[in-house]
Amino acid sequence: MDGASVVDVGRPAIRRGTLSRSLRGGLKGGEYTWAVAFVVPYIAVFVAFVAYPVVYGLWMGSKMSLYRELFADPIYQSTVVNTVLYLALGVNVKMFLALLLSGFFMRPGWWMKALLLIFVLPWAVPQISTFISIHWMLNGEWGFLNNALYTLFRVEGPSWLNDRWMALGAVIVSHIWKWTPFWTLILLAGRMAIPLEIRDSARVDGATGVRGFVHITFPLLANLYLICTLLSTIFLLGDFNAVTFISGGGPANSTHVLATLGIRDAFEIAHPRLGVAAVMTALPLVIPLVIVLMRRLRTAEVQL
Amino acid sequence: MMAYLTRRSVLRGSVALGATRLLASPHVAKAAATTATVWFAQGFVQDEDVALRKAVTDYEKASGNKIELSIIPFAPHRQKVVSAITSGVVPDMTMSNPNEILQLFAWQDKWLDVSDVVETQQAQFSETALLAAQAYNSVTKKRGFYGVPLRAAVVPCHIWGSLVEKAGLRTEDIPKTWDAYFDFFKKVQDILRKQGERKVYGLGFQVTANGVDPANLFNAFLIAYGGQDIVTKDGKLHLDDPKVRQAAIKSAGYLGGAYRDGYVPPSAINWNDADDNNAFHAKLMVMDVDGTLSTEVAVKDKHPEWYYKDIVTHGIGYPNDNAGKPVPSIVGVTQGLIPKGAKNVTVAKEFLKYFIQPKVIGEFIELGLGRWLPVMPSLAKSAFWQNPKDPHLRGYAQQGLLGPTRPDYYVFNPAMAEVYSEHVWSMAMIDVAKEGVKPEAAIEKAFKRIEEIFAKYKIA
Repeated sequence: MDGASVVDVGRPAIRRGTLSRSLRGGLKGGEYTWAVAFVVPYIAVFVAFVAYPVVYGLWMGSKMSLYRELFADPIYQSTVVNTVLYLALGVNVKMFLALLLSGFFMRPGWWMKALLLIFVLPWAVPQISTFISIHWMLNGEWGFLNNALYTLFRVEGPSWLNDRWMALGAVIVSHIWKWTPFWTLILLAGRMAIPLEIRDSARVDGATGVRGFVHITFPLLANLYLICTLLSTIFLLGDFNAVTFISGGGPANSTHVLATLGIRDAFEIAHPRLGVAAVMTALPLVIPLVIVLMRRLRTAEVQL
Repeated sequence: MMAYLTRRSVLRGSVALGATRLLASPHVAKAAATTATVWFAQGFVQDEDVALRKAVTDYEKASGNKIELSIIPFAPHRQKVVSAITSGVVPDMTMSNPNEILQLFAWQDKWLDVSDVVETQQAQFSETALLAAQAYNSVTKKRGFYGVPLRAAVVPCHIWGSLVEKAGLRTEDIPKTWDAYFDFFKKVQDILRKQGERKVYGLGFQVTANGVDPANLFNAFLIAYGGQDIVTKDGKLHLDDPKVRQAAIKSAGYLGGAYRDGYVPPSAINWNDADDNNAFHAKLMVMDVDGTLSTEVAVKDKHPEWYYKDIVTHGIGYPNDNAGKPVPSIVGVTQGLIPKGAKNVTVAKEFLKYFIQPKVIGEFIELGLGRWLPVMPSLAKSAFWQNPKDPHLRGYAQQGLLGPTRPDYYVFNPAMAEVYSEHVWSMAMIDVAKEGVKPEAAIEKAFKRIEEIFAKYKIA
């Protein structure tokens, strides 16, 4: 046996040892047992409540005939348009307003804190009852909005939820009203995390007002802003409540988004596989979003 | 050999002991043999749930068996049933929610035959209830009893008598034939508007694509106009029947036309199931065609004067058709169902047999304040249903149980359930009401879609 063969024979043993150590993460004996004992419940919960439902969902929506049926449905086609509009306007207008408002709430003074308290109320109240109230407020005949218009200005308001674009607009505006406070708070926390020295130095160098925002605040907030936008997009894609309780997907099924269409197909039409397929068609958008989000989170970690 | 206790051996021993206990416990095994899981949707009033719990407790005492009863809110119950049947993790018994789920899933061979349960009270059930308990199984290619009738509902007309009187007219003068009957409320609106009422409409037609109301409304008109044979008992579709086509065109024309002409509240185009009740209570319209007596029952405590005096239900069912003949009312029947894969079929069947005894089921329904109807004509003769002081119950029982009735079309072919859930009739009404489409074209489009749906449900 030559030297080379001796090395070759020894390799598997070295690999086994390395692999074993690597799996144990440097833990020895009882420490490793306890580590496994702590991890097992998490893995069990993850498998039962995350991995299994996702795989089951993929299996349910795996037949191509479901997608042929879905794409041929004119309601699905208008649903895709609604979803894109809901995401594009709902997320971006809300995040932009939150960015501006977070700057406003940075101002000093007790009254600013009091105003902030009032401002976050829409976010704090339960959303389903809020959306049902909005649905009733927008009723064309006996809703609060049209009654107020008539009482104050003798103007007969329109039936807000009778037209596709007005109904969808009402849903988007309600979403922005409901969730802007939350994202404002997040961005406010981001602004407050910017060290005072940086802002003071910039001020000394003449970067105040808009220049300060453009050259100092926004670059430092950009990563957080992007992460918030991505998260908000993912949340909104699964949002069911605003459409269901404000427009009900109507008039004539014209304001559904993918989440509500999925529920409709699954439970109203009693065709769960079609419902899953409807939601699955959002995956080509969700997966890249999650990948970008993960990458940005890693970058953010380095920056912070 | 002496064995030392280590942490590992204790852990191992505990796991083994736990597993042995789970597998070998005689108590668990016994419970599994005598316990049935039962799902019901929550009642409209708390008394309904109390009555159900009482029936379950009485059964448990009498039988020694155990019922694990889940009372679930209406919409989540429906979702839970669909999910259970899809996943195969099923209860031992559930009520139908929606009712057509019996026929939709019987088609896929998902329910157990319960003819032996129905048999115990067969002579008591109405003919409509017995028809509604049957469904076609596309696997066995046979019709069979897959449901046990529990309770029923019908779609009455609700009228604000006080608004009719305000217009200077009398409810006694409401015409007795179909078109004249509904035209009467247009006249009431015209008079009230002239009196300065800004927001009052004659007719509360649900020309919407939400919920079950629009299909119920359209069906009532379809039958009244002579289109009752759109689906026959053999499950065959008859869109080529000129009477059916004409009736559908007239229905879309009248219902959509009333909206287009301003006799229906504009928001009706996007009402959900509760919106028309709210609008009626707000006196936005003079009359409403809406399922069950929930419109009246909901205000009985808070506004007894509305219940006893102001609101009028038609009393003897629908007006006659335009030729003067009675129009049968479609009755929706809630069923008890046992899914295939149920673990304790014996107890589930025993419980159902106990529950459908006239005394038990009669008490359960009456505690619901009259929202639901019994499915046994003999029960409609009770003091509760024949109470001379109640202005609604006698008429409701007459319309839904003692008068001319028929089951819904999905009983004969589940395709009709899909027609309803896709809101095909609604789209025809909306096309006429809002898009200016002629009724003939709207029905042409609807018929095309109905044919496509029925093509998926071919009955041999």
